[in-house]
Amino acid sequence: MPSTESLVTLTTPTELEREPLVRNQRGVRWITDNVSAISEGPTPFWWWVLFLPCVLLAAFGTLCIGYQISNGVGVWGENHPNGWAWDITNFVFWIGIGHAGTLISAILFLTRQKWRTSINRAAEAMTLFAVVCAGIFPGIHVGRVWMAWFLAPVPNSNGIWPNFRSPLLWDVFAVSTYFTVSLLFWYTGLVPDLATLRDRAKTRVSRFLYGVFALGWRGSNRNWRHYEMAYLLLAGLSTPLVLSVHSVVSFDFATSVIPGWHTTIFPPYFVAGAIFGGFAMVLTILIPAQIVYPQLRDLITKGHVDKMAKIILLTGTIVGYAYLMELFIAYYSGNVYEKFTFFSARMGIDGKGYYSWAYYVMMFCNVISPQIFWFKWARNNLLIVFVVCQFVNAGMWFERFVIIVTSLAQDFLPSSWGHYSPSWVEIWTFIGTFGIFLSLFLLFMRFLPMIAMSEVKIVTPEADPHAHSPTTGVGVDAHH
Amino acid sequence: MSKRVLNHPPEAATGKKYWRSLGQLAETPEFRGWLEKEFPQGASEFHGGELSRRNFLQLMGASTALAGLSLGACRRPEKHLVPFSKGVEWSIPGKALFYATSMPTRQGAAPLVILTVDGRPVKVEGNPSHPAAEGRSDTWSQSSILDLYDPDRSRFFLESGKESDGDKFSKGLDLLLEKAGDGAGLAFVLDRTLSPTRERLREEILKKYPKARWCVHEPAQPEQARLAASVAFGEGMMPDLQVEKADVILALDSDFLSATGGTVRTIRKFMARRRVEGPDSKMNRLYVVEHRYSTTGGMADHRLRVQASQIAHFTVALAEQIGTLTGDPNLKPLGGPTTKFTERWIEEAAADLVAAKGRSLVIVGDHQPVAVQLLGYAINAALGNIGTTITGRRTEEKPGLTMGALAAAIREKQVQALFIVGANPMYSAPADLDWKNLQKSVPTVIRLGLYEDESSEGASWHVPLAHYLESWGDSLAADGSYTAVQPMVLPLYGGWSEIDFLARVAGLPKPAGPELVQETYMKRVGGEGATLTGTWNRFLLDGFAADTASKPEALTFNGGAAKDAIGKAAKPAAAAENTFEVVLEPCSKVDDGRFSNNGWLQELPDPISKLTWDNAAWISPVSAAKLGVTDGDVVEVSVNGRSLTIPVVRVPGTVDNSLTIALGYGRTKVGRVGIGTGVSAYPLMTTENPYFSTGASVKPTGAKYKLAITQEHGTLEGRGADLTRQANITDWQANASNGDYFKKMGMDSHIPENISLYSNPPLNEPHQWGMTVDLNSCLGCSACMLACQAENNVPIVGKEQVINGREMHWLRSDRYFASDEAGVDDPEMIIEPMLCQHCENAPCETVCPVNATVHSEDGLNVMAYNRCIGTRYCANNCPYKVRRFNFFDYHQRPLDKLYTWNLINEKGTPDTLKMRNNPNVTVRMRGVMEKCTFCVQRIQEAKIAAKVRAKDSANMLIPTDAFTVACAQACPTDAIVFGNIKDPDSKVSKMRASPRSYRLLEYLNTQPRVSYLARIRNPNLKMPGADRIGSFMSDGHDHGHGAKPAAHGTPTGGNH
Repeated sequence: MPSTESLVTLTTPTELEREPLVRNQRGVRWITDNVSAISEGPTPFWWWVLFLPCVLLAAFGTLCIGYQISNGVGVWGENHPNGWAWDITNFVFWIGIGHAGTLISAILFLTRQKWRTSINRAAEAMTLFAVVCAGIFPGIHVGRVWMAWFLAPVPNSNGIWPNFRSPLLWDVFAVSTYFTVSLLFWYTGLVPDLATLRDRAKTRVSRFLYGVFALGWRGSNRNWRHYEMAYLLLAGLSTPLVLSVHSVVSFDFATSVIPGWHTTIFPPYFVAGAIFGGFAMVLTILIPAQIVYPQLRDLITKGHVDKMAKIILLTGTIVGYAYLMELFIAYYSGNVYEKFTFFSARMGIDGKGYYSWAYYVMMFCNVISPQIFWFKWARNNLLIVFVVCQFVNAGMWFERFVIIVTSLAQDFLPSSWGHYSPSWVEIWTFIGTFGIFLSLFLLFMRFLPMIAMSEVKIVTPEADPHAHSPTTGVGVDAHH
Repeated sequence: MSKRVLNHPPEAATGKKYWRSLGQLAETPEFRGWLEKEFPQGASEFHGGELSRRNFLQLMGASTALAGLSLGACRRPEKHLVPFSKGVEWSIPGKALFYATSMPTRQGAAPLVILTVDGRPVKVEGNPSHPAAEGRSDTWSQSSILDLYDPDRSRFFLESGKESDGDKFSKGLDLLLEKAGDGAGLAFVLDRTLSPTRERLREEILKKYPKARWCVHEPAQPEQARLAASVAFGEGMMPDLQVEKADVILALDSDFLSATGGTVRTIRKFMARRRVEGPDSKMNRLYVVEHRYSTTGGMADHRLRVQASQIAHFTVALAEQIGTLTGDPNLKPLGGPTTKFTERWIEEAAADLVAAKGRSLVIVGDHQPVAVQLLGYAINAALGNIGTTITGRRTEEKPGLTMGALAAAIREKQVQALFIVGANPMYSAPADLDWKNLQKSVPTVIRLGLYEDESSEGASWHVPLAHYLESWGDSLAADGSYTAVQPMVLPLYGGWSEIDFLARVAGLPKPAGPELVQETYMKRVGGEGATLTGTWNRFLLDGFAADTASKPEALTFNGGAAKDAIGKAAKPAAAAENTFEVVLEPCSKVDDGRFSNNGWLQELPDPISKLTWDNAAWISPVSAAKLGVTDGDVVEVSVNGRSLTIPVVRVPGTVDNSLTIALGYGRTKVGRVGIGTGVSAYPLMTTENPYFSTGASVKPTGAKYKLAITQEHGTLEGRGADLTRQANITDWQANASNGDYFKKMGMDSHIPENISLYSNPPLNEPHQWGMTVDLNSCLGCSACMLACQAENNVPIVGKEQVINGREMHWLRSDRYFASDEAGVDDPEMIIEPMLCQHCENAPCETVCPVNATVHSEDGLNVMAYNRCIGTRYCANNCPYKVRRFNFFDYHQRPLDKLYTWNLINEKGTPDTLKMRNNPNVTVRMRGVMEKCTFCVQRIQEAKIAAKVRAKDSANMLIPTDAFTVACAQACPTDAIVFGNIKDPDSKVSKMRASPRSYRLLEYLNTQPRVSYLARIRNPNLKMPGADRIGSFMSDGHDHGHGAKPAAHGTPTGGNH
């Protein structure tokens, strides 16, 4: 019945062809071979070129930490009134970065965003390493590191408990929970791929090690059923954590009385900022990875970059909204101290701000620079995306610096105002955490499958029995 | 309590010897070996008679167990201080004992009591029974305890720089004196003290060596005041200002309220007239004319900036005006001033003074030229103040040679032996004397000094001087009463006291402290035939002899002589536009340089400039802008052919074209604290112009110098209505019954009622501690800061760490300037002491993750140091920013080693400094937070005492105002009051109930336990600018909404 058919054709819009999640109709075997090859092949020269400096930086950063612990926090630039500065800035910076991974793994998993599969492994690894770096700062910023166990609710003869009213304590719990759940989630996802590597391993050592960590995975149905249930549960557990960790981190500031900190908008604003910064860091790592491993371009496609750029645009704009809302509330409150903090100390409209330049760096990096992602050509240009991501990385660091230092440096009593500048120890400790982060990531790239092979395979066209066969008609890879 | 062993006769060296065992008697090597094995820690003590600083503590009292065996080591039979070999009934280990003494200063002794614990003096307080102190003290007395323990003090007798001992010195001295003959070749240079014993010894010396030269060298106290007084009132007569009787006071370049050494009496008399209690309160009115802000200027109701060199012209103009109004002949034909001043200012001030005839007072600074001071007396005479607000007092001190005359004698080779006792002329003699070469040209120089300093260099002999807390002596307090100086401890470094030394020179048979003083005491107080028993002990117990204050004497103003002297005096040059005057002033901290090695004083911020660790040339912001310099820019100052390079610091309120430089810095030979601090201004000082010189040129050198200023920001940012509330007396009188007047200013005028979601545990102890700080009385002298530092073992952190913003003072003194746009160059100033507010709803407590800072039932915000891990979150969340973090191990490590890699936890603080610490206060380690505790150790002590008193009864209440905290106890003006706010009779309860009382940042709902009392000023409404006075301070720029307070302290109501 041609008339009906034409009617249907007329009323139903033509389905636009979606860009495939895996390009070039790569089959299951191709995926296995190419992803495993990264960890199976010989160590490339560039890897050593990157790894050794990173390890050196990490070592020097550790030395700086040793120096700081043995001499006192005074080797940093902190003072009265700036009791926190780079330490907590770096902490919030890294913990923010650690948000994208779990967001991608958990929330996108629950919302069935299939494009997450090719990036979630690397993003989760990045999350863990970022949280490792983040965890260093609250640990070492205290004056007496050796007493830091007072933070733990250990029953003791004095009957002294931690102060459950303190957001800093909530922080300890939130961050450690987040790290634990993220680690479990990541590891659970790794198990099938570890088994693949075990099965392909050529040396006894690697077979043994991959074998131990693969936990006896057989790929049986029972395995898969349990795996998928565990993965789903962990995704469910992680989802509230994505929102809670940074909310709790923001409570450190929001529950205080200091103008610039005492802000109810902080929890959503911090979460948005964390996702914003986290995605920027994911792209910062995956774009170069795509360059050194060209085969990954079929798995991490322009479509992935495009989607992440859109998330950056969205969250960057939310953050911008929060910035403007802070200004409005400061004005609307009629509170001289709030007004001073936002209009003088941050914006520097009367030239009285000590760190107004940092506010404008933050504004440009976080609010202005992502706006270029309204344009598709920009989202599709890896160089532009990479550059904007660097702005975002820097901007998010400056956001925390602005919040922490400008608020503390100029608060209620003008008599106690004071400048802050970092010492070399602080600067190198921060650089050292990049060394730690990158060293860990390079080790991850070298020894573990960067792409969640088993998950990517699920989103290949072949994995969908109901889909049309592609025109070339290649069937399911029998050699799986 | 005096040490009652004083009357024991000296133990005869050949008398009975008591022994405990045959072994001890025989002193065999076997016995010694056994002894050392038995008491290994003390082994080294059994050998020599030397008292090392290490064993001092054990020996002085802590180890009574050893005392029986080690008596030989520490008993010096010639001294009457006996270690506690047997338990004495008043000494309980760990319990404090108080001894009265006094700190000699050039202005008169500061009467003190010293708290000693187990034989260690640890804290200085004002003597509560002395009328000139009333329990209060000042910065120099408070910090003097640190000098006692200074590890850099001189420890050895030095013969031409080589270590020697006292016996050799005595022999050398005898040899020298044998050849002295009539003493024509002998000369003495001394500090000024008002010690009658020293005067007596001087007479003894002059009796023996009639031609000896005696010279008092006090660079910071020129002779002008004495000369002027002797012309005006006759030789030997000094004016005594009765400031409490004056309704109107005009201070002409006089910082008469500076709280340095023995001036507490004047301050208290002045403050007695500033108290405002009820609506009918009256206040005195203070006019100040000065070249830079002083603490006196900060108290002023009206202040005018005039160069120090132009005060003469100003005084002439004022005299003309007063002469016209009173018709006094002495003030008539003076010839007009060459400089123009704000005429209305002078007219109205003069009218005010004349209106208060007989109840007014004009005070001219001691440093001003004699003619200006005489003119000041003439004005006072015209105002009928002589005999009412100015009375006389006879001085016993006979003037000696001037330094100039002594220098001339040395130049003519008439001096063979120069005794420099205490003073440091190599550093502080006026530059034109060329003292450095002169002293070197004297064949024998004998120096008695606390430190091996500039004047000890090249001396034939250097003798360590005992600190006043180690020596016997006497002095006169500011009211002329006879005060005791008694040792708290044997000389730590084996020094000789000044009077011991002089007695030795005089060849007295008994050259030992107590006898020398006793002799003077008997002559002065005891009268003929008196014996020592009884009254002498009373004298030591009280620290002074009762009823010895000098009686006010009638003054007769010699108008003719004054007029002659004024007429003959050279007129100072008028101020020139393009040159500067240079004013040299003693530093309010290190004085003329003598306290240069005192870390507490070096780190104490200057009350006005907030500069620590250095001096700098104060310059007005306008002049600085003209020169193109800012804080820390080094300039070259050239005046009369002498020059100096020094950094500048811009201080608002300084008159243009004037540089003020503090003396006492740039020492070349001094201990490790004082070295490298500041620039010596003595090269600009001449005998002719010891105070100011004019016509200086100032050139920027382009160099930069790092200054350690503790307060970066000095303006109120329009927050005065919140932070520093004040009003004029008329507004106060109109609103005194309105309890909300001061409570509803600034933010507090339009905030909703504070509510809290969280209810803190109830504070239901019968004691609830609180404090009030009266901004109307606070001078900013900073005695409180030092008292706190001493009481609570607050460390110094060094210049570098001050620059880093890490000073540790628990109590700081915030200084704010405020003005409207037009008055930026001449702002008003207010000083606001800031300390932990002990908030009932404390933001710091909620945020500490480990419960290290919590609230006590008696309302204290307490710190548990050993629980603190140092997150610094509490400090961040403190709206008052009063918490202090130990960024380094300041108590353990020397300040120059803070950054040295310290993996093995190397230490190195000298032991003596540890001995100074208050044993009742924990010494904090690095990495912990600390802050004001409301002297919790004193609270606990009082509570324990109350419990002991209560025995079985239930009444454990501490009696009303039975004790107070260190800052309140030191405060010369009673601006700080501490006590139980639950006790309606306590002073603090009454102060809190005052309508003037308000709390800082009320809108945060922190519920502070510290209240501030608004400042009240008493401007003369006819004065130019009077309508604006106080308005900048109390007027927030918060015009947004809400009811503005009825008035912001403007007599004409509103100034917009």
